[in-house]
Amino acid sequence: MSGAFRITQRSVGQQVLINLQGNLDTLGRIQDKLSSGKELSKPSDSPTGTVESMQLRGSMRREQQYARNLSDGLGWLNTIDSALTTSSTQLQRVRDLVVQGSSTGSQDPNARAAIALEVNAIKQSLIGVANTQYVDRPVFGGTTAGAVAYDATATPPASPWATATQANPEVYRTVGDSQIPTPASGWTPPPDGSVVSVSVAGHKVFNTKSDGSGTDLFTLLDRISADLTGNTNGLSQDLGDLDAAMKNITGTLADVGARTNRLEQMQQNNASRVQSLTSQLSEVEDIDLPKTLMELSMRQTAYQAALGAASRVVTPSLIDFLR
Amino acid sequence: MGSTFGSLSTALTALYAQRRGLDVTGQNIANANTDGYSRQRVDLQAVGAPTTPSIWSKYDGSGGGVNVSALERIRDAFLEVRAQVEHGNLNSLQTQKSTLATVEQTLSEPGDQGLQAQLAEFWSAWHDVANNPGDIAARSQLLQRATTVASSFNRVYTGLDAQWTNQAQQLSTMVDDVNATAARVADLNQAIMRGNQAGTPTAELEDQRDSLIMHLSDMAGATTRAGHDGGIDVYIGGTALVAGSTSARLAVDPSNASPNARADSLTNAVANSASSLGSGGVHVVWEGRGYDAALSGGQAGATLMALNSTLPGIATQLNTLAQQLATAVNDQHAKGADLDGNRGTALFVDSTSSTSPPSTAVTAKTISVGFTDPRMVAAAAQVANPAVPPIPPFVPSLDNGNANALAALATSATGVDAVYRKFIVDFAVQSQTVSQRVDIQAATATNVDSAREAQAGVNLDEEMVNMMQFQHAYEGASRLMNAIDSTLDTLINRTGLVGR
Repeated sequence: MSGAFRITQRSVGQQVLINLQGNLDTLGRIQDKLSSGKELSKPSDSPTGTVESMQLRGSMRREQQYARNLSDGLGWLNTIDSALTTSSTQLQRVRDLVVQGSSTGSQDPNARAAIALEVNAIKQSLIGVANTQYVDRPVFGGTTAGAVAYDATATPPASPWATATQANPEVYRTVGDSQIPTPASGWTPPPDGSVVSVSVAGHKVFNTKSDGSGTDLFTLLDRISADLTGNTNGLSQDLGDLDAAMKNITGTLADVGARTNRLEQMQQNNASRVQSLTSQLSEVEDIDLPKTLMELSMRQTAYQAALGAASRVVTPSLIDFLR
Repeated sequence: MGSTFGSLSTALTALYAQRRGLDVTGQNIANANTDGYSRQRVDLQAVGAPTTPSIWSKYDGSGGGVNVSALERIRDAFLEVRAQVEHGNLNSLQTQKSTLATVEQTLSEPGDQGLQAQLAEFWSAWHDVANNPGDIAARSQLLQRATTVASSFNRVYTGLDAQWTNQAQQLSTMVDDVNATAARVADLNQAIMRGNQAGTPTAELEDQRDSLIMHLSDMAGATTRAGHDGGIDVYIGGTALVAGSTSARLAVDPSNASPNARADSLTNAVANSASSLGSGGVHVVWEGRGYDAALSGGQAGATLMALNSTLPGIATQLNTLAQQLATAVNDQHAKGADLDGNRGTALFVDSTSSTSPPSTAVTAKTISVGFTDPRMVAAAAQVANPAVPPIPPFVPSLDNGNANALAALATSATGVDAVYRKFIVDFAVQSQTVSQRVDIQAATATNVDSAREAQAGVNLDEEMVNMMQFQHAYEGASRLMNAIDSTLDTLINRTGLVGR
């Protein structure tokens, strides 16, 4: 208040009241921050902080979802990996049997018939492996709506993928943000690696050729079984085809391993990103506890001082000093 | 030469005047804490010689004592006018601030209850469907989250609507208050004008009138101009609310009728009609005249602004957002096929319409989820099945292409999330600006109020000094009377006694 003003008791009182209210208001705001632990409680506290907080919360929610997508994708790949390893072992056994069966001198027809039986059994077991499921879905069936990737009742067992009419028969998992808009013609995996395939095409794996154009494995095993009991001359050709099929499976295993590695790497990145987002969000939204406590005690002191001053300033007037 | 008893008369005027002074000091002290009281002061004037000299009779006295020439009410009319303007602005800004603060509470951002969080959950649910397209649980969860998003829109809109109705009722009450206050100002004007014509003191009436006028400024941003005979005319937006001893009346017209179609006899019926947010504007009109009052200041002005622009503006933005969400999701959804190979139908629809209107008809108030069967969620890309014409049905599959495409809408640079964030920031900046302006305006108003108080307030120290001065002067005058009395006593009773 400037000296030019005429001061009255009432104006001093009012001014003291305004100042006390200002102090109490600040004190209340700090208490509010302390009790809620939040620096930001409404948008107007800090518009830029609000948008940052909203973006961080959105990113966090997406990263958490990507973590789930990643672990689901890894589930698929691990299932595929173990299924392929099993098939590889079983084919190795078939190869041993074929080699055994082709040594014609030492084998009588009955023994070869027994070998053929074992090959048939392995074929049945391989159909089971080819129908391996992960969360109720056949992992080699792509996007088929059915429960199996190979129909064991058909001869040869039919793969729905081979006859698939889907735009994208592969199974995809989104593992990161993509800035590439979905084309109007329909969704395709964006080329920026934000979406990965976690499936393997059964009709391409269980085949002598990696593009699915060769003989399929189950037909081959049927042929081997037939050759063992009759046409032993065909066995050398069978052995060659079997080697090709095994090589195909091993190659796919390597590809699955590489994809698993990539997803695991992404999982780690994802975890560290979630952590950094959490700390960023906390930086934007949460209070600095020591600083706020310090501020609180300073404000409390100021408020008490103002109260003390008020009690002294408001009281005296000339009346106290007149006779 | 003056008269023998002239000095007695002088002493008597002094006694009268000083006692009047003490009376006024007493009145000041009594009202030291009365709101709106202006301190008063006696104007004393020495009674001197006649101003017109005459030839045959010459005045050679020393003056005829003292006279109370006036009882002055100390208040600065210019400061009053300034205070009216500042108070009108302050109240307007404070009302705007509280309007925006209520909207902020309704939006509840940033946090887990806000629309942003619900949208994030919704997009996330599409990922879950993409992970397990055949899982009915994931699809049901998606529909639940879509319902949550829709009801979040509904909730915010309903909150705004309730606020609108509430403020419309408040406006009506404010207008009633303004009308009643204006009538009392007109009554006081009449009393003061008559008092001034008759020469009776009107200070207390004027104080009362100033308080009422300040109330009018607070409520409606009223300004004043001095009229004749001490009357004050009160204006709202350039039209006289109070002119001398007559006052006009305002009325709220919630019908949004054009001025020509408006009934001249419109009275201030409380805005209880069917009007609501989005049904059009509210007008404050001059009762019996049919044209709009240019009401822009004070609480009523700010409330009118909230009703006609702030709240409808926010509602429009919410509607646009709801439309954008419905359009983006429905368009992409229609590009997919559901579990049974059917084309995706609209996910977000207008709950009030039984037919299937375009997505652009969806508003924040009416947005809802269009179907409840989880099998109808179109997660798969469409693949035509030439074997079974006509198309659709498509080939049913566990493809997740469309679910991925829908999930990808979350990160679209022009998507709902980005637009919503921009809306929140724009709103936050507006709210913060108003908040800061309130602080500045409050400081200005406080300064003007201090200046008014400095001018018109009672200082007890000063009154004590005045009291002592008047008391001593009174004692002095009594002493003078004593002195003259004893002089005359000496003259009358003690003279001419020589040799007795």
